[in-house]
Amino acid sequence: MPHYDHYVIIGNGPAGNHTAAILRENDGDAKITIISDENIFFYYKPKLTEYIAGGLTKAELMVPGLSFYREKKIRLRLGQKVDKIDPERKIVFLNHMEKIYYTKLVIASGSGARVLPSMRSYADCLKHITTYNQVMEYKEQIQTAGEFFIFGGDLVGFKFIKMLCKMHKQVTLLIYPNAFWPFNLTEKMQEIIVKNLSRQGADVLVNDDISQIIKKEDTYIVKTVKGVEQQVDLVFSFNGLIPSVEFAKGCGLDIDHGILVNETMQTNVPDIYACGSCAQIYNPKINSYTTSIGWANAVVQGKVTAMNLLGTHRVIESVDYKYFDLEGVEIKTTWWEDIEESSFI
Amino acid sequence: MKDIDLVIEICGSAGEGTISAGEILSRFMSGQGFEIMSFDSYPAEIRGFGKCVAHTRLSSNCIYSPGKLVDVLISLNDGHSISQLSTLKKGGILVYDSAPLKPHGEDKSVLGWAEPGTVTYGVPLTMLANRAAGNSRGRNMVALGAVVALFHMDGQSFTQSIQARYAKKKQVIIDANVNSFLEGFNWTKKHIEKTDSISFDGVIMPAGREKLIINGNQLVVRAALDANLKFYAGYPITPATKIMEILSKELPKNGGTLLQTEDEIAAIGAVIGAGFGGVRAMTATSGPGFALMTEFTGLSVMAEVPAVIINSQRGGPSTGIPTKTEQSDFNAAVLGGTGDCPRIVLAPIDTFSCYQATVLGLYLAEKYQTLVVILLDFFLSNSIRNIDIPVKPSQVFLDSNIAPTKAELENYQRYKVTPNGISPRAIPGTPGGIFFSTGLEHDEFGKPDYSDKGHLKMTQKRFDKHSFVLEEAPAPQISDFTGDMADIGVISWGSSAGAAQEAVMLARKDGIDAVSFSSMILSPFPEKALVAFADKCKKILVPELNYSGQFANFAVHIIKRPVERLNYITGRPMASEDILEKMRQM
Repeated sequence: MPHYDHYVIIGNGPAGNHTAAILRENDGDAKITIISDENIFFYYKPKLTEYIAGGLTKAELMVPGLSFYREKKIRLRLGQKVDKIDPERKIVFLNHMEKIYYTKLVIASGSGARVLPSMRSYADCLKHITTYNQVMEYKEQIQTAGEFFIFGGDLVGFKFIKMLCKMHKQVTLLIYPNAFWPFNLTEKMQEIIVKNLSRQGADVLVNDDISQIIKKEDTYIVKTVKGVEQQVDLVFSFNGLIPSVEFAKGCGLDIDHGILVNETMQTNVPDIYACGSCAQIYNPKINSYTTSIGWANAVVQGKVTAMNLLGTHRVIESVDYKYFDLEGVEIKTTWWEDIEESSFI
Repeated sequence: MKDIDLVIEICGSAGEGTISAGEILSRFMSGQGFEIMSFDSYPAEIRGFGKCVAHTRLSSNCIYSPGKLVDVLISLNDGHSISQLSTLKKGGILVYDSAPLKPHGEDKSVLGWAEPGTVTYGVPLTMLANRAAGNSRGRNMVALGAVVALFHMDGQSFTQSIQARYAKKKQVIIDANVNSFLEGFNWTKKHIEKTDSISFDGVIMPAGREKLIINGNQLVVRAALDANLKFYAGYPITPATKIMEILSKELPKNGGTLLQTEDEIAAIGAVIGAGFGGVRAMTATSGPGFALMTEFTGLSVMAEVPAVIINSQRGGPSTGIPTKTEQSDFNAAVLGGTGDCPRIVLAPIDTFSCYQATVLGLYLAEKYQTLVVILLDFFLSNSIRNIDIPVKPSQVFLDSNIAPTKAELENYQRYKVTPNGISPRAIPGTPGGIFFSTGLEHDEFGKPDYSDKGHLKMTQKRFDKHSFVLEEAPAPQISDFTGDMADIGVISWGSSAGAAQEAVMLARKDGIDAVSFSSMILSPFPEKALVAFADKCKKILVPELNYSGQFANFAVHIIKRPVERLNYITGRPMASEDILEKMRQM
C-alpha cells in the first residue's frame, strides 16, 4: 500500500507558504495542508501600515498566488484555529473540534502584538497593527480620527507614525526604550530619533510612563507619570512581538518565548519543525537561542525546513548583516530585512 | 430604506427539524412584510437519514426565482453541509455547530471545507439545545436564534412565530422550542463578534395586504375547491401526494368525494367516469403515474369527456428522482399517447398561477369536453410563496357545460359538428339525452363509424374545438421591447419562466437588450404570438429543466429558426444567474 506524507503547516505567512511550496516541488504525492486562524489569503503583513493609511488597495496587500494552492493541490484551511497538538498520536486539534492527522508538522504560526504587563488592564483601550482583522476593525476610524497617542516604538510603530504625520494627524509618541528589542536604545540614538520625528510633526515624550488611560465616550484620556494629560481619538501600542505558540504549550515541545529548534529547524519532538518568528533558533556561535523577525528570514527558514523534511540536510544561516535606517539611526542587524526584497510564491 | 435580498439555507439530516426551521423563518419574514420564496429538498426515503435543505429567499422587492447562490448557510449537520458549501456565495456566511457531542474526524467538519473568505460563526448548537430542553432536538431553534441575533431581527416577534408554529402542540414542546431559540439568541448576542454587514436594523416594511403563505400543491387544492371540484381519484406519488392528502379532508366538507384507487390507471378511469356523469373531477400524479394514465387519456379526448390531470413533474424517466424538480414531461403531456389526440396543456409559471391554471383547467375541460393536463413540477408543488389572496372565480367559471337545448334533444346528436367544435353535452339522466359513448371512432350520434370520411370529419371536429381554446386562454407574458429589435429573446415555460424574467431584468441592467416570452398555455400554443416575438429578436434562448430541450425543439418547429439552449437536470430549479451568464456568452 502506498504511503503518502501529510504535511500539516500551521501558519499562512512567508515561512509556512515557502515550506509548502518547496515540499510540493519535491513531493508530488504528499498531502499538504496549511492552517491559519486568519481568514484571509497570504498577504504582506509588513505592508499593513501602508494599507491602513489608505496607501494600498487590498489587492496590492495580497501576495499573488491564489491559483497556486489549487494547482499545487495545497489545502488551505483559513479561519481555523488550532487548539492543541498531540505529538504521540500525531493529531492537530482544531478549535471547531476537528482532528487532523499529520505525518510531519510544521509550526509557522508567527507572532502577535506584545502587550506590556503594566498595560494589560488597559488592553481594551489599546490598538495594534499585527493582523489584517485588527486593521479592518479600525481602518475607517484611522481615516476620521484626528489625534493619536502612541507608546513603545518598534519598527512598525515608526512606519505608522510617519504615515500619520503625512496624513496631517496629530501624533504623540511616548518612547519606551525596551520596545526596541532586540537592541537597546541608547541615549544618543534616542536623541536622533526624537529630533527626526519632531521634524515630521510628531510630539515625542521620553523618560515618562503611562499612569492611566480612561475611555471617555469615543475618545481616550491618557495620563502620564510626569503629569501629561491628553485627550485623543485612538491609542496604539507598539512594543514588539511575541511568538504565537499558546496552542503548542504542554504537548512536550520545548518552548521558551518561541518554540526551540536546532539549526535544521527541528524541535525536540520527532517530525515537528518550527520556523519563522514563532521559532527560537539555536545559534552555536553564541550557544543560545535567538528569535528572528522579518519577511526574508521567514522565507529562508521555510525553505530550510522543507528541505530537512524532505531528507536533505540543510542548516539555517542568518542573512547577511544589513543596515537599517531607524529615523536617522543606522542599525546593523542580521534580522531586519526590507520587505521590498520579499520573494513571491 | 435599504433593500434586503437574501438567500438563506438550512442544511441538516432528515428528522433534525431542518424543514420546520425553514418554514418558521419564511413565515416570520412574510409576517414582517418581505417577499419570500422558499422550497425544501429532501431525500426520497421517508425518514431517518438523508440530506434536507430548506432554502429561503427573502426580499424587500419582488422575487421571481429562488436564487442560485446562498448568502447564509446554517449547518445542522456537518456531513451533509459540506457538499452544500458549493452553493455559498464568495464571502458568504456559515453558521455551524462549534461544540458537537463528539469531535469530527478529519475532513468531516463543515468549517474545515469553508472557502477562504467565508464569514464563519461557530455557535454551540447542541450544547445550547441540551441546556434549553435537556436534549439536542432544539438545535434548529438555537440556530434560528443565532441568525436572528446576528442579523438584528426582531427577536420578540420571532418568538411569537415559533409559538404560533407549535400552537397545537403540548406546552412542553412549545417551551422547549422557544427556550432553545432564546438560548441561541442570547448566546450569540453575548459571544459572537459580528463581522458581516447583513443587518435588518432600521428595515421596516410597509404594512401591506394580508398575504397567503402557500405552496403550489396547496393552491391547486384551494383553486379546485373554489372551482367546484366534486370528485377526486388518485394514487399517492411524490410530489403530488399532498394534493390528495389535503383534499381527503377538505373535499368531503365541500360535498365532494375522494377515492384512493389501486393505481393510476384506475384513478384516471374513475375521473373520466365522474366527468361523464357531469361532475367536475380531477386527479394528480407525477411522471410514472402519468405514463399509466396515458391508457385512458385518449378516451377522454375521443369520447369528449372532461378530465383534469395535474402532473407534478420530477426527475425521470421511470421512477427517476422522486424529490428533485425537472421539466421533462413536456413531450408526454403535449404529444404523448396514441392517435391524433388534441388535448389542453397548461403550465403555471409561478405559485400564484397554480391557482389560475387549476380554475381555468376545470373550466376548459368541462366546456370543451376534453382532457386538460396541468404541468406543475416538484419546485412549483413545494415552493412556498406569500401571495395576495386569490379572488374566487366568478359563476361563469363554475359551470361551463354547454347543455343541449330542448330542440337539440329532440334528435339528440351528442357529437354534433358545430362551428366551434363544441357539441352540446347531455348529462346522463337528462330526459331525451340518451346517447352512445365509446372510445371507438363514431358519428355525430356516437355510434361506431370506421369510414375514412367519418374519421376525418370527427378528427377535424376535435382539432377545431381545440384551436378555439386559445381565445379563452391567458395571453402570453411578454416583456416590453425597448426598440424595434431586441438582442436576445428568452422563451420559457413553467417554473423556469420566473428565472427567465428575472434574468432579463438583470441583463438589461448589464446593458444587454433582452426580452422575455412565456405562455401558461402550451397546447394549443399561441404560435402567432411566438412568431411575432421571435421576429423581433436577433437571438433566441430557451432555458428549461430537461436534457433534450423538449420545449426548444417544439419552439424551433414554430419559429423555424435555430435557438440557443440552456438545459439543466441538476434537480434544482432554474436560476436567473445561469440564464444571465448564458446571455452574456451569446
